[in-house]
Amino acid sequence: MGSHVVWTVLKKELMDLFRDRKAWMGTLLVPLLVIPFVFFLLGTSYSNVEKEAREYIPLAVQGSSSLITSLQKNPAVQILEPANPEQALQAGHLRAILTIPAGFDEEIAAGKTAKLSVAYDSTNQKSVYARTLIEQTVEAYSKDVVAKRLNQAGLSEQTIQPIVSTFQNAASEERKSGGMLAGIIPLMLVVSLASAGMAAANDLVAGEKERGTLESLLTAPIAAQHILTAKLLAVMTMSSMGAVASLISVTLAMRLGPMGTEGDHFTLAFFSPVTLLVLIVTILLLAALFAGLELVLSTVAKSFKEGQTYMSAVLFLAMVPSYMLMPVSPVDIPTHYYVMPVFNGVALSKEVFYGKVDPMHALLGIGSLLIYVVFTIFLASRIFRREGAGLKH
Amino acid sequence: MIEVKDVSKRFKEIAAVQHVSFRVEAGEVYGLLGENGAGKTTTMRMMATVLTPTEGDIEISGFSVRQQPLEVRRRIGILFGGDVGLYSRLTARENIAYFGRLYGLEQARLEERIHSLSRMLEMDDFIDRRVGAFSRGMKQKVAIARTLVHDPDVILLDEPTTGLDVTAATIFRRMVRKLQEEGKTILFSSHNMGEINKLCKRVALMHKGKLRFAGGLDTLREQFGTEDLDDIFMAVVEGSEG
Ligand SMILES: Nc1ncnc2c1ncn2[C@@H]1O[C@H](COP(=O)(O)OP(=O)(O)O)[C@@H](O)[C@H]1O
Ligand SMILES: [Mg+2]
Repeated sequence: MGSHVVWTVLKKELMDLFRDRKAWMGTLLVPLLVIPFVFFLLGTSYSNVEKEAREYIPLAVQGSSSLITSLQKNPAVQILEPANPEQALQAGHLRAILTIPAGFDEEIAAGKTAKLSVAYDSTNQKSVYARTLIEQTVEAYSKDVVAKRLNQAGLSEQTIQPIVSTFQNAASEERKSGGMLAGIIPLMLVVSLASAGMAAANDLVAGEKERGTLESLLTAPIAAQHILTAKLLAVMTMSSMGAVASLISVTLAMRLGPMGTEGDHFTLAFFSPVTLLVLIVTILLLAALFAGLELVLSTVAKSFKEGQTYMSAVLFLAMVPSYMLMPVSPVDIPTHYYVMPVFNGVALSKEVFYGKVDPMHALLGIGSLLIYVVFTIFLASRIFRREGAGLKH
Repeated sequence: MIEVKDVSKRFKEIAAVQHVSFRVEAGEVYGLLGENGAGKTTTMRMMATVLTPTEGDIEISGFSVRQQPLEVRRRIGILFGGDVGLYSRLTARENIAYFGRLYGLEQARLEERIHSLSRMLEMDDFIDRRVGAFSRGMKQKVAIARTLVHDPDVILLDEPTTGLDVTAATIFRRMVRKLQEEGKTILFSSHNMGEINKLCKRVALMHKGKLRFAGGLDTLREQFGTEDLDDIFMAVVEGSEG
């Protein structure tokens, strides 16, 4: 009897929600519009900046040296002579100004240390790139000079370079594509989990209360907790759909977007059955947590409007942990985050997208999430069954 | 049969209903009269087991709202007047069927009920349209059908004609009489003595949470020696205040 009631109510809620364009917008707006938009915007401007920084490097030179000739071997380097170089640098027309004191080359030839000064703008990514280029050129130039000096002294280059190191990236392909994802996907995932159910949750209690349909429902010979269970499942369905949509959306954006074309070769290959299972369980538990919370707020709200205001609190609750953990590598997340609400879900999904889930972390995260879910649903049920909770104000 | 037994309801500091008792016989159309805030809706909500009495009890067809709320719910149908609550994105049929299923009706029985209610309320033309765009009168019909879908013995109508025009209100009263002929027990609340007079022989008159009178309208007319219903109403209210 109970499951029949839950199913009847759930079926009706889903049909009602699917016909509600506003609820759909709430569910799919973030994943299908906002995510690709952000990715394309970020990706486009990122790759544009990088390209421009590489392809055109206007510099000003005060004084002269054969160092400049080495610098000019890079075809992107253009030596300009603006009237006011400092101003041009500020304005971004110049990337850097090299000041070479008189007698620079002579000092070097005499075996002394010559002083070069470079003005650049640390707030301008392109200027920073120019600085790097200058540093590398100076280094290579210096190395040549050193080699010559050592030769003259009858020594080999090895005398001043006892160690040569090379570095290999130990991260597997899975980890490389996952590593990038570990930053941004949990944020998208958790935020869409929270936002996708908000419109539905508000409609299903605060909205029904305001329209008076909930009171009629409560006069039917069915238990209030069955109504609540169905509503919870309906909101969870919307949340999970939002989450899945955002995962698909991020995947496509990464593959097709400007960031994906830079040779990152993004794949979902880093999923193993275990990490996939952890991800699914985490998504479902987070969906239940947010759905329960949203239903609590929707029940407490005296009107639909008031409910909408409360819902933004849930969004806040999802965003703070996601943003806080976004730049943190999963291996650097302190253990206590795995038992803090929402943080635990964000941290676990980061591990999943990093390609490796620590069993202890999975246990702590899923276990504590489960406790929060039970507590939230218990609270929702208490509030929903409170006398008069379903009545119009 | 409805038996209200010394029932009270408090909301924190507000005494919404105070020691009210009256009895509606099976098959009777009984009036519940009172101005805004008299406690009519609160009384009906206690009958529908949405609110629990602070004191006293109510029996519906012999079942206590306190002890056997599910039995009570199976036997009543309640309709609220004004802006009736319907799911605007569902069709009239879907709205009615939803409640039918929640009352445990089998599919065949449900279809039969919807068919006969649609006939009786003349809603065949719009039964498969979404209710969002319906007029007040059409919505009212859907709401009545939803209230009656499980064929309840006891029907509670809380100011059901509020917001209806004269035609719709007249049609509504005809339907109430038809339900009475079918043997239903009906409690009809209103703030309008004239409207009660058109349907009911007996009334309970409430004012500020208290019962001022319960009995025949004839008795009232004789007692106050006038046919003017508004005068009688004022006399009852003022008489018991003094
Ligand atoms: N849920 C509630 N919480 C607090 N006060 C209420 C509630 N419902 C009704 N009241 C108060 O109880 C009194 C009776 O209200 P009500 O039963 O709605 O009267 P009526 O239906 O006769 O207009 C009013 O003073 C009203 O403000
Ligand atoms: Mg009322």
